[in-house]
Amino acid sequence: MDSTSRLENRATSAFISRLLHKDSSLGYILLGPAFVFLAVMMAYPFVYAVYLSFTDKQIGAPASFTGLENYSKLLSTSLFSKTVVNSLVYTAFALVIKFFGGLALAALLNRPFVGQRVVKAMLLLPWIMPTVFSTMIWSWIFHPSFSIVNEVLVNRIGLLAEPIPFLRDEKWAMASLIFVNVWRGIPFFGITFLAAIQSVSTETIEASKIDGASKWVSFWRISFPMILPVVIIVMLISTIGTLGDFDLPYLLTNGGPNNATTLFSLTAYTLSMSSGFIGLGAAVTMTMFPLLILLVIASLISVRKQQQD
Amino acid sequence: MMNTARLARNARRTVPFYLLLGAVMVIFLFPFYWGFITSLKFEVDIYDFSGNFLVPKHPSLFNYATLFKTPLYFRWFGNTVFVSTVTTIISVIISVMAGFAIARLRFRGAALAGTLVFITYLAPKNFLFVPLAQILQNWGLLGGLPALILTYPTNLIPFCTWLLSGYFANVPREPEECAMVDGASRISAIMRITLPMALPGIITAAIFSFTASWNELLYSVVFVSGETNKMLTNGVIGAFSGGDQYYWGPLMAAATLSSIPVAILYLCFTDRFVSGITSGATKG
Repeated sequence: MDSTSRLENRATSAFISRLLHKDSSLGYILLGPAFVFLAVMMAYPFVYAVYLSFTDKQIGAPASFTGLENYSKLLSTSLFSKTVVNSLVYTAFALVIKFFGGLALAALLNRPFVGQRVVKAMLLLPWIMPTVFSTMIWSWIFHPSFSIVNEVLVNRIGLLAEPIPFLRDEKWAMASLIFVNVWRGIPFFGITFLAAIQSVSTETIEASKIDGASKWVSFWRISFPMILPVVIIVMLISTIGTLGDFDLPYLLTNGGPNNATTLFSLTAYTLSMSSGFIGLGAAVTMTMFPLLILLVIASLISVRKQQQD
Repeated sequence: MMNTARLARNARRTVPFYLLLGAVMVIFLFPFYWGFITSLKFEVDIYDFSGNFLVPKHPSLFNYATLFKTPLYFRWFGNTVFVSTVTTIISVIISVMAGFAIARLRFRGAALAGTLVFITYLAPKNFLFVPLAQILQNWGLLGGLPALILTYPTNLIPFCTWLLSGYFANVPREPEECAMVDGASRISAIMRITLPMALPGIITAAIFSFTASWNELLYSVVFVSGETNKMLTNGVIGAFSGGDQYYWGPLMAAATLSSIPVAILYLCFTDRFVSGITSGATKG
C-alpha cells in the first residue's frame, strides 16, 4: 500500500470511531436496527392494513379498490355487531373484576406470613403459564359432559340440579371466557399492586394511624392514591391486551356458540383466513383502531404525568 | 394464662387468614393439578368420575408416550426451539442497543424514540396479522419458519427495549467513563463494563422473549403451513383435537410438559421480573 491509501484508511477508521464515540451519532447507530425493524414490520403493515380495508382483496385474487364497501358490509352483519358487543362486554367485565380482585389479593397478602415468597411465586403461575395450554386445561374443566366442576356441584355436593353448560350456552360461554381471563389476570394485578403498596412509605401511613384513621380510610385516602400511577398503567396495558385477545376465545369457544363469544381478533381471523376475505378482515382490525388510539393516548398521558412527578 | 389468651387472639387472626389463603391458592392452582393428574390417566380413567377422581387410579406415563410417538412431535419441538432461540437472539441484541441508546445517550429525538417504543409496545400484535400475512405472501415467505423469525421480534423488541432502557438508566456511568479515560474505545467500554452490569435485565429480556416465542399461537397458525413446519403449540393442538373430538390425555401431557420449563424459569426470576415491570411502569 502506498502512503496515500494508508492515510485514507486511517482517516476512514478515525471517522468511524468518532461516529461510534459521540452520543449524537452513536445514538442513531444503536437505535437504527430497532427503528428499521419496527418500521418494516409494524408501521408498513399498519399502513397496508388501512389500504387493504378499502379493497375487496381475497386470498388468491387480486385486489381492487372498493372504498367504504367493506365497512358498510360489516355494519350490516350481525357477526360484526356481536363482535363489538362481545369485545366490549368481555374487556369491561374482565377489567373491573381484575381490578377489585387484584386489590383484594394485594390486601390479603400484605402482611408477613410463613412461606410468603413461595406463595407469591406460585400464585403468579396462572399468568406465567402458556396461555395455549392453560386454556386447554380450562376447556377440559368446562367440558360439556365431563366437567369436574359439574361433577362436584351436581353429583357430589348436590348444590345444583343441572350441570352448567359452560361452553354450550351463550351467556355461560361469555362468563367462562371472562372467568379464564380473570383467573389469569388477578395474580398479575394482585402481585403488582402488592409490590406498589409495599413500596409506599410507611411513615405516611403510620402518621395517619396516629391521627386516628382506620385501616380502611388510610388505605383509600393515602395508600391507594400513591399507587394510582401503577394501577392505571397496569389497567391500560391489560385493557389493550384483553381487547385484542385471540388465544382464549379461539381455544376455549372458537367464538361460539353462535358467535356469542367472538372477539375482534377472532372475527378478523375467521373472515380473512377461514373465509379468505382479506379486505374484510383488515377492515375489522381497523375498527378496533379508534378505541385503541384512545387507550394509547390515555397511557401516554398517564406516563407523562408520572414522569413529571 | 396470658400466653393462652394471646395464642387464642393470634389464632383468631391467623387461622381465618390461612384458610382464606388456602382457598385462594386452590382456585388459582387447582387447574394445573387437574391437568397434571389427567395427563397421568388412561383414557378410560379420564372419563371415570367414580370414587376418588382426584388421584389417578392407574397412574401411567402412557399419554406422554403417545405424545412422543406422534410422528412429528420432535420435529415440532425442534422447530420451536429453533425459532425461539433465533428470535430471542435477534430481539435481545436489537433491544440492548436501542435500550442503551434511549437510556444513556443524548441525541436529538431520544425522548421521541422512547415514546415511540412505548406506543409500539401497546399495539397488540393480533392487530397486524392480516396485513402481515399478505405482506409475507408478497415476499414469498408465507408458509415457512422464516416468516415467524421475521415477525416475532416485532412483538418482542418494544417490551425488551422498554425493560432494558429502565435497567441501563440505573447502571452508573462512571465505570464506563473511567474506562474511556484509560484509553478504551467507547464500544469496548460499553461491552466490557456496562453490559455486564445490566446482565440481570438482559437475562430477563431473554427469558421473556424465549417463553413468548415458545407459547405463541396466532402467528404460527396463520403464517406457517404444512405439518412439518408447525410449532409445538399448534402442532399438538392440531394432532389431538379436531372437530369435536379432543384427546385430553395427550393434550394435558403436552400442557404439563410445556409448562414445566417456563414455570421453573419464572419461579427463579419472579422477584426480578415483577420489579422490572413495576419499575418500568413507574418510570415510564
